[in-house]
Formats: sequence, structure tokens, C-alpha cells
Amino acid sequence: MDINLIQEKIENELAGVISPQALEEVRVKYLGRKGLIAELTGSIPMLPIDKRGGFGKEVNALKIKVLNLIEEKERSLKNQDSAAKKNNIDIGMPGIAQRPGSLHPITHIIDEICTIFNRMGFSVLEGPEVETEYNNFTGLNIPLDHPSRDAFDTFYLKKYAKSLLRSHTSPVQVRAMKTAKPPLAIIVPGRVYRPDAVDASHLFMFHQIEGILVDRNIKFSDLKGTLEMFTKNVFGKDIKMRFRPHFFPFTEPSAEVDISCIICCGKGCSVCGRKGWLEILGAGMIHPNVFKHVGYDAKKYTGFAFGMGIERIAMLKYGINDIRLFFENDLRFLKQF
Amino acid sequence: MKITYNWLKDFIDLKVPPFELAEKLTMAGLEVVSLKESGGDFIFEIEITSNRPDWLSIEGIAREVSAICGGTLKTKTPKELKFKNKGILSVPLLVSNKKDCPFYSGRVICGVKVGPSPGWLKKRLELLGCRSVNNIVDITNYILFELGQPLHAFDLDKIEGPQICVRRAMANEKIITIDGKEQLLDPEILVIADKNKPVAIAGIMGGREAEVAIGTRNILLESAVFNPVLLRRGRQKLGLQSESVYRFERGVSLSGAARASFIASDLILSLASGNPCGYKSLGSLKTADRLINLDPAYVKRVLGGAIPAVKMKQILNKLGLVVKVKAKQILSVKVPDFRQDLKLPVDLVEEIARIYGYEKIAQSTPAVVPQEKLLSKRDITCAIKNLLSGLGLHEVITYSLIDRALLAKTGIKTDSEVVEILNPLSCEQEVLRPSLLPSLIRCVAFNLNQQIDYVNIFEIANVFLARPHSVEEEPVLAIALCGVHSFLSKQGLVKDDINILHLKGILEALFNKLKVKDFNFTPQDDGKISILLGQKQAGFMLELSRQALDSVDIKNRQVVLAEVNLKQLFGCIGFEKKFASLPKYPAITRDISFVIKQDIAVRDLLIAIEEKGAPLLRSAKIADYYQGKQIPAGFIGLTVSCVYRLDERTLTEEEVNPLHNTVCSLLEERFGIKLR
Repeated sequence: MDINLIQEKIENELAGVISPQALEEVRVKYLGRKGLIAELTGSIPMLPIDKRGGFGKEVNALKIKVLNLIEEKERSLKNQDSAAKKNNIDIGMPGIAQRPGSLHPITHIIDEICTIFNRMGFSVLEGPEVETEYNNFTGLNIPLDHPSRDAFDTFYLKKYAKSLLRSHTSPVQVRAMKTAKPPLAIIVPGRVYRPDAVDASHLFMFHQIEGILVDRNIKFSDLKGTLEMFTKNVFGKDIKMRFRPHFFPFTEPSAEVDISCIICCGKGCSVCGRKGWLEILGAGMIHPNVFKHVGYDAKKYTGFAFGMGIERIAMLKYGINDIRLFFENDLRFLKQF
Repeated sequence: MKITYNWLKDFIDLKVPPFELAEKLTMAGLEVVSLKESGGDFIFEIEITSNRPDWLSIEGIAREVSAICGGTLKTKTPKELKFKNKGILSVPLLVSNKKDCPFYSGRVICGVKVGPSPGWLKKRLELLGCRSVNNIVDITNYILFELGQPLHAFDLDKIEGPQICVRRAMANEKIITIDGKEQLLDPEILVIADKNKPVAIAGIMGGREAEVAIGTRNILLESAVFNPVLLRRGRQKLGLQSESVYRFERGVSLSGAARASFIASDLILSLASGNPCGYKSLGSLKTADRLINLDPAYVKRVLGGAIPAVKMKQILNKLGLVVKVKAKQILSVKVPDFRQDLKLPVDLVEEIARIYGYEKIAQSTPAVVPQEKLLSKRDITCAIKNLLSGLGLHEVITYSLIDRALLAKTGIKTDSEVVEILNPLSCEQEVLRPSLLPSLIRCVAFNLNQQIDYVNIFEIANVFLARPHSVEEEPVLAIALCGVHSFLSKQGLVKDDINILHLKGILEALFNKLKVKDFNFTPQDDGKISILLGQKQAGFMLELSRQALDSVDIKNRQVVLAEVNLKQLFGCIGFEKKFASLPKYPAITRDISFVIKQDIAVRDLLIAIEEKGAPLLRSAKIADYYQGKQIPAGFIGLTVSCVYRLDERTLTEEEVNPLHNTVCSLLEERFGIKLR
């Protein structure tokens, strides 16, 4: 019998095997106790003495060869098996999971700003939305009958004399300073209200965030340093910042703070009105009259305050062009945040 | 406020080109909001802050420019004109209240020729957007823009008496102003009147009758200082605005009023001829000099960095303040009367910083003393928001002000009166909301209209409740679910119609995560479901009525809502996390499947099982429920999973089986279940 022919036959047979069962049949047929190779080995003693040695070696080689082939086949069948399992599921199908919800973009901005100031050591404080005329105006050095009040059109309440909806978050300054002694480092987010006609850039309710720091030796230069850190954290390290003199009744000196336009990087575009700068907040050193109202000693303490509109920051940061989108609450808008 | 480059040049030799000047003004606090070239000149539009009435004039801005850019200010000195303090045309003058009008002066100029203004005058006014009327009126406007002092010219022959009286208007007195409109006056409004009637609303607008026009021969030129608060209230009441009242409200100076009257008269004489005749004034022009002592060390304390005292003195001088150096380097600063805004040393600090340049003040990092801080309400609110968004909900923010009609339409009742707004701009701002639910319902309706078929939203905000003496503000959480939650599963698309159990599931998950120990949901008589936290009602869930849905145009959909008082929730949160050891020995689980009448409350059933099975029974939970073909109408198929376990050793079947059987028989006896 030609060993080579046998090997060829086995190889052909193995190639046709597609299941572990068929492979086992082939194995038994050739390598089993009554299999062909055992038969061949058994036939050796019947050969002439001079042929026995050579034939024995050939049968042995065949046995090793077949063992290897079967082992190889077994492996390839296993691989095919898992490949087949994979093919049962098209990974292009949608994944299965609970769909996540979302937080409002205003919440995201407030959280981001609070976190930045928390790291600097400021605490978050909130105050009521219904305020007294005193906390909203007088305590903040805003005379009741003065043009400086024109910037703060205010909703008043019926039936409750001198009660109003706060037109800025600054009344919380007054509350905080009246209840705690310096050092004071707080950040105040919240809703504020002004009777404005609604359009793409005005609402009658919006959000502000306010910060104050009062201690011995707080200087205007500290205000600059703090806000520089803030703007770089929110808008990126390449952002430029400038302080422009301005007037607020509750701070002196006062400043408006601009950042280089995040759209055109200061070259001038429609967003920044060709100026290259975007006004983002108001700030200054707390006015001695405010300290007088809350009972702080202006000889001992100095402090700074700053405040900004959250919607404005969110619009700039996220590229939102209509402020009304914030309170329309279209889910297709909300899901983007 | 508009100024032009060429007009500014009357007062100062300008070396900086217009665009550079605009930049410098902006960086000194006079924000140039636009700069346009027009007719060979440049028009600057500047936003003037309300504390600087002195900047509402070309001269005032020129003074500022001289401080910022250098150069000497060329002020105009009035020519001495010969007005007689008596004589036939000297008009009797009465000022009823000095507080209302600290200073009033009238000059009579006779024989003027009223006609068009010369071209240069017309052009200057027109560049500022002021329409030319005639030479006399134009001159008063010209001086207003140039020096910041409002003036008014009357046709003297139309003033009866002739007599001038500065007084409060009488109730129901009327005047037709130069804009042709009739104004109803009252004693809160100051007027200039002749013998019989008002001829001008003081400082706000002149009357049409005594207006200077072609044919006017003799004029009375008024220059005065009125009470800013009175004028402000007056113009607010009348809804009028004018360049004059804009300046009076912010404060004009006494010295300016006297000076402007002379300069204007001089200009009238040269452009409209005429003769100076009578003059009369009431009120003192004397002002007490204000002195402020400024310690250069204080400047450093407020600003940081070091500005030399010499530089400080130089800046203040340039701004028109008189500075003397006293002992210990203290600067004694005399403030002129056109700078009413400078009262405290810190006001001078700002002037120094402004002109020195904010950009030149270095930056530093403050040493913040960290505040002692416990877990704040805000931290908890943040945690709740994150949990809810993790549960798939989307946060919305809606207006705190709503219309009464929405409240009525949605039928959301609250136990208190609503807080009304005194001055809403529209009906959408009528009241402060006593509940977030109306806003959320509107938000659901809006989204359904955008073809969104599953709306799951929440909001955390304050509600406002009217109490006898104050408004109570309470933070609440509101959730609204609506529509079909469809999602893919291994079995394919699952369409899950939202009902109140979805809402309950969200609240349970939230309360469990917040370690709220004792919470419950119980039906109320009105169909709502109470949310009980620690035995107390802290909110409710409800399914919106068909009527309410119709009123907000929600069709074929169900909306489920919940509102929870956060103050109460905060009080029930378990902040301490404590580890409970894991069971060492295995449990034995027995399921009971049965059919039960639908009107039996599952909660009662579970409580009964737990009581009966104690102490070996560790938990009894609904593992499945079914209603359908195999279950008769009015019944429900339930599977309750009972877990029995001991802490100290492994339980045996022999111990559990008899106990479980008594549980089953209890259910049969007390609740009439039929085992399946």
C-alpha cells in the first residue's frame, strides 16, 4: 500500500470536514484502535524483514502527520465557530442602553463657573428671588430716584409694599455681608428679572452669577488676576482680557471686562460688532457706601465684586444665536448639552 | 451722546487721529460705540455713564481728552454784556420753591431777527442728529451740546403779564408742548408759567404757544437749575424724553448755568442781532468748595502697584481739580461744582486709575481664606439633577412668571393665593407661579408640536406662595412625562406607553439613591397620589385630566406629572453611608404565582406577607404581573418572590416550606387569591 496515497486521501477527507462530529469520525477511522493506521502497524510483522524497518518509519511519520492535521483542523473549526457566532449579530445594529438625559446649558455654565471659583476657595451662596427695595437698590448705593436706576428696570409686587423681583444677584452681597464677617469669598448664581420686551437678545428673566471677595488687603490688581484666571478657564488660555473703566453705583473703581472675540480672535466680525472685543462682565472694588450699609469697616477691609449674565456666556461658549432658545426648551436643543 | 471731531477741536489741539482717539476714550470709560465719517468730519457716538453729566457736552469731553492725550483745554470765557437789572422790559420773576428750582435766570433780548441759522451752525447740529429750527432755537441747542447746559427761549410777547413764575402745575392744568401734543399736568410736575397758564414744562419741554418762530421780536432766554429728582419723576409720569431733561436729571452745575446764559446771549446778538435788555435771576450761584484729602498710600491699598504721587497730582490737575500737597504727602483736592460725582477719596482713586490706564495696573492673585463649608443645598440640588438626567430625563428652565389663564386652564390648584406683579409688560408676566406644573405642561405641548413623541422633562426652581405679610419662596422639583417611550431591545422595538408607574419608578430611584428612609405613595380622594416622605405629604403625582389636556391642545396623549417640595426632601435625605455586611449563608427563594382581584391593593398584600413571613422572610417583591387572555376580567395575575434567609447558618427546606405554606394560606384566606 502506498503511504503517500493514503496521506493524500486523508488530507482530502479532512478538507471536507466542517463539523467537530465529522472530524471525530475521521479521527476514529484513521487513528482509532481499529483504525487504518493501527491496521498498518499491525501489518508490519507480516512484511519481509528488510522492508519492515522502512515501512515502520513511514507509518510512524504518517501517524504524526495525521495527528497534526487533525489538531490543526480542530483549531480551525473552533475559530470558525466563534466567527460564525460573531456573524449572528450585526454590530452595525443600534446598541442597547438606557438613553441618557441632559442638563440645561445654563446649569452647565453655572456649574462650570462655580467649580472654577470653588477651586479658588469661594463658596456658593444663593438668595431669594423676591427681594426688598433696600437690598436691591439702597443697600447697594443705588439712589431710588436717580438715572443710575434706569439700568435696573424692576418688577414690583402687588399687595407687598417695597417688594420686588430682584433685578440682579447683587442683593445677595448685602445679605451675605450683613450675616457674616470678613473674610468673605462667595459666588452667587441665580435667576433675575427685568421688564424687557422679549427678542433675540432680551428676556424678562435671565440668570446672573456674582462673586465677592472681602478681606484685609484685597486690591484692584487681585480682581484683575482673579478674572484673568476665570476667563482663561472658561474660554481657553489664548483668550485676551481687558478692563475698561465704567460706572456701577456699588463699586468704585468700576470696570467692564471684555474678552478678545472668540469668533474672530480680535480681528472684528459680526458677533463682536467689528470691535474685536466682547463685553462679558462688570466688576469693581466694593463701594465704601455699601460697606457702610452692611456695617463693615471700610478702613479695615477692601473687597471686589463682579457679575455677569449666564445666558451671554452660554451663547458665546456654545455659539447660540437666539436667547429665546434657552427657555423654549425644545428637546432637540436640550439634548445637545 | 454724539460729538464731532471738528467741534472738539474748538476746545483742544488734537494730535491723535479719530480712530486712535476713539480707542483712547473707550479705554478711559467713555465707550465709543460708533465712529462715522460724515461731511468732512467724524461723528463719535459715546455711551456716557449716568454719573458723568459733565461728559454730556463737547467741552466736558474735551477736558477729558486733554487729560488722556495731553494738550491744553481752551475754555470759552463769556463776554460781559450789558443787561439791565431793571427797566420796562425787566420781567417780574417768581420762584415758588427753592428746592424745586435752586437757580433761575432770564435775559430779555429785544428786536431779534428770527430766521434760518448760518450753514456752519446748521451743519454742526445736523451732524449730531438735531434738526435745525431757526437761529434762536438752534443757538439754545448748540449751547446745550457744547456746554451741557439746557436753555430755553420764549417769545416774550406771548407771555402774559409779562411775568415768569416757576411753580408746580395745578391739578388738571393742560399745556400743548412743542411736539403738538396736549399734556395733562398735576402738582407733581414743575412748570414755567405766565400770569395765567403754563408756558413750558420746566426742564422737560417748552410749550407751543410761547415758542420762538418767524416773526418773534423779543425773547426771554431762560437758564436754570431744576431739582433732578422732581424732573425725573415728571418726565417718567408724562412719558416724555428730551436732551434737556436728560441733562437736568443727571445734574447741571450752577456755574455752568450762569456762564451758558452769557455765551448764548452773545451768540444770539451776533447771529440774530437784537439788544440786551432786562435781566433777572433768583437763587444763589455760590457753592461750597468740596475738599477731599487723598493719601497716596490709600491709592496703592485700593489698586495695588505703585503710581507715583506726582503722576496722581498731574492727572487730577488735568481733570480740572485743584491739588495741593500737604504734610505727609497727603493731596488736598478741591473739586469744582461740575464734578458732583466726586465725593470720597475712592472716587479720586478711580479718576487716577482711569487716566493712568487700567491696563497698566498689574495682576495679582488674592489669598482667599477658604470658607468653612458644609454640604450646601446647592450641592444636593446638583446631585438630584445629575441623578434625574442619569435616569434619562432632560432638564428644562421655564419662566417663573406666568399668565393667570394658564394656571386656570391646566387646573393645577394650590393652597394659596398667587402673587401678582404690579407692572407686567404683558399678560405672560401676570403672576409668580405657585407651581411649576403649568409651565411644564406648556413645555410638553410645545415639544409634541415639534413632532417629538416622547417628552420626559424636569425642572428645579422656586415656587411663590402668597402669605399674609410676605411671599414664601420654596424650591420644588417637578417632573413631566408624556408619550411613547420606544426603544430597541433584543426582541426588537419596544413601545412603552408612559403611565404613572414610570413616574413612580423615577421617584423611587431618586429617593433610594438619596437614601430617603421612609417614603410612600398613597392615593388621595381627588385622584392625585400623595408622595409621603417620613409620613408627611411632600408632593403629589397626577395624571392630567382630559379637560386640561384639551385646553393646551394635547391630543391622544397622556401626561403624568409630579411635584415634590425640596425643602422637605432635603430634610429626609440620609447623608451617612453605612455598609451592611453581605449575607454569609445562601437564601431560599420561593415564588408564589396567583390570580387576585384587581381592586386589592398590592401594597396591603405585601405588608401581610412580610408580617406573616417574619423573621425568616427577608423580602417579598412583585416579580411579575400579567393581565390578558388567561386572566378573567377584573383580576390580575401576580408572581411574588419571597426570599428566606438566616444570618447565622444555612436554612433548610424543612424550615422554609411550612412557613411558606402559611404565607400562601394567609393570602388565600385574607385576599382570596387563587394559586396558579
